Amino acid sequence: MSLLRRRHAAAIAIFGLAALAPLAVHDAFLLHTVVEILLWGALAAAWNVASGYAGQVSLGHAAFFGIGAYSAALFGTRFQQSPWLGMLAGVVVSVGAGAVIGYLSNRLRGPYFALSTIAFSQVLLVVASRWRGFTAGSEGIPVPFRPGLWSLGLGHVAWVYLALAVAVLYYLLQVYLDRSRVGYQLAGVREDEDAAEALGIASRRLKVLAVVLSAALTAVCGSLWAQFVGFVDPFYVFSVDLSVRFALMTIIGGAATAVGPFLGSILITSLETYLRATFSGVKTGFTGIYLVIYGTALILVVRFVPEGLAGLAGRVRARRRRRPQPAVAGARQ
Amino acid sequence: MGPAQIEAFAQLVVSAVLLGGIYALISLGLTLIFGILRVVNFAHGEFLMLGMYLAFWAFTLWGVDPYAALAAAIPLSFLLGLLTYGAVMRGVIRASHNVQIFTTVGLSIVLQNVALVAWSGDFRSVRPWHSAVVLRAGGTAFNLSQVVAFVIAVVLTVALFAFMRWTHTGRVMRATAQDRDAATLMGIDTDRVYRLTFAIGIAAVGAAGVLVAPLYPVYPTAGLQFVLVSYVVVVLGGLGDMVGALLGSLIVAAVEVVGSYFFGTAWKEVLYFLLFIAVLVFRPAGLFGQRGAETLGA
Repeated sequence: MSLLRRRHAAAIAIFGLAALAPLAVHDAFLLHTVVEILLWGALAAAWNVASGYAGQVSLGHAAFFGIGAYSAALFGTRFQQSPWLGMLAGVVVSVGAGAVIGYLSNRLRGPYFALSTIAFSQVLLVVASRWRGFTAGSEGIPVPFRPGLWSLGLGHVAWVYLALAVAVLYYLLQVYLDRSRVGYQLAGVREDEDAAEALGIASRRLKVLAVVLSAALTAVCGSLWAQFVGFVDPFYVFSVDLSVRFALMTIIGGAATAVGPFLGSILITSLETYLRATFSGVKTGFTGIYLVIYGTALILVVRFVPEGLAGLAGRVRARRRRRPQPAVAGARQ
Repeated sequence: MGPAQIEAFAQLVVSAVLLGGIYALISLGLTLIFGILRVVNFAHGEFLMLGMYLAFWAFTLWGVDPYAALAAAIPLSFLLGLLTYGAVMRGVIRASHNVQIFTTVGLSIVLQNVALVAWSGDFRSVRPWHSAVVLRAGGTAFNLSQVVAFVIAVVLTVALFAFMRWTHTGRVMRATAQDRDAATLMGIDTDRVYRLTFAIGIAAVGAAGVLVAPLYPVYPTAGLQFVLVSYVVVVLGGLGDMVGALLGSLIVAAVEVVGSYFFGTAWKEVLYFLLFIAVLVFRPAGLFGQRGAETLGA
């Protein structure tokens, strides 16, 4: 097995299966789940750029998601324009907002930065839910379905391939951050900012860059999500829960790893979808059990397996390779 | 100013003080835990929510008045704090910021969803007789529950300050807050101090949850709105600074009350979040704190 294939085996398996899914199954529910897994994975990957690779923990990434979702929905409903243009506008606004947040990351560290990102997303939540004249307020915006690629009214199969394209793109971007000079510099900033600065790394500029990039990537997925789901609810798209969800998927899958966010998305999205489908209506609230499980997993992972599921797999593989063959049976005791 | 304006002004002041008293009790636990453990407890609101549910169930199942339930809520929250410290917090006291953030975020997810699974997401309310009594004095009107909640919050706050100021344990806690390594060298068992501090902080916020239960709806994420306020309060007052938290509570309550009066209740959150971001940008160590604490990661 070549080195390339071994390193990317998990990703190739995930994306390969996703690509084959529409050929193998025609069940709309299953394809819907595949799109969700890919979109959530891409969103987690976007979060990973700022919070995993650059180490600037944001608990307010829903802000950028909401900006993307709202701009796509508003361009479609209010201005009768293509959601693609809305996505572009969302990216532009998010880049601006990301620059502000990135600037804050240069002034605030650790919990202070995390708190400021929560405050930022809450301000947007209040604005979106109260500014009735422009955003339709707390009722949210139903996104009309207009068939066609330009209006992003797609069937399930087309959605799978669109989400797959985004997911692969984000994955490759993260692989670049794993291997490139910029990526190593980011790792330096993450591990010890002062030391990185002393080595001549422009840590302030790098952090802003990482947050801006992460914001733009999140907004793109926000726009796609609005079109895919067909409804934008301010209390969902700007919620702290959503920001926490990006973090949860990334950390359980493996922060600062390329495949981690997608592994996390598979675990969390599939259990959530399964519980929703099985228990909704039987006992409301019971679906929350998946968050009890993954919340517990989060506490355990950050403490015992900080590199997440992706790192765990790597660790096991490395140990197996290193373990010498015992010359005599039972010599290892 | 005519008599109508004076009445309106008096009402605003009274409302702000009543609200500020509650915010103070919630925020004190948060700032105490931060000051001594150096951990921002992102699950703080969830302990408030548990206090609210305790009041709700005590009232619904046994008809116990929330203010009587307080007698059970304080020791129970204290115990829960001890258990949570041992099971979750203890292992991350000396870990990095990010590990600490996600440990408490994970705790918050778990507690919220345990409540959701156990008690569903329905909005519940606690309506004891005193929540319907309106007191009037000098042109101002307020709810009896609000007044009682305020008085109890003030009594608990004063008790907490007295404990920190005059007892040996309180002095030991302050010494640990000042310099944990020096405290260890002086023979202070810091682990015990952390455990006690965490339990006291949780007891305070649990008590606050019981106090606000008759005033606000009870649901699994009910803690969020309060904890967001208390983040603003403690950052304003300087994280870890107890007197600062008191002043911060009054400032945030005043901003909220005056903001609702002039701009409508809808926009009051924007006001205090903007205040929050402004303080973070211009005076991140708090209005009264020392500069530079936040970049050192305090």
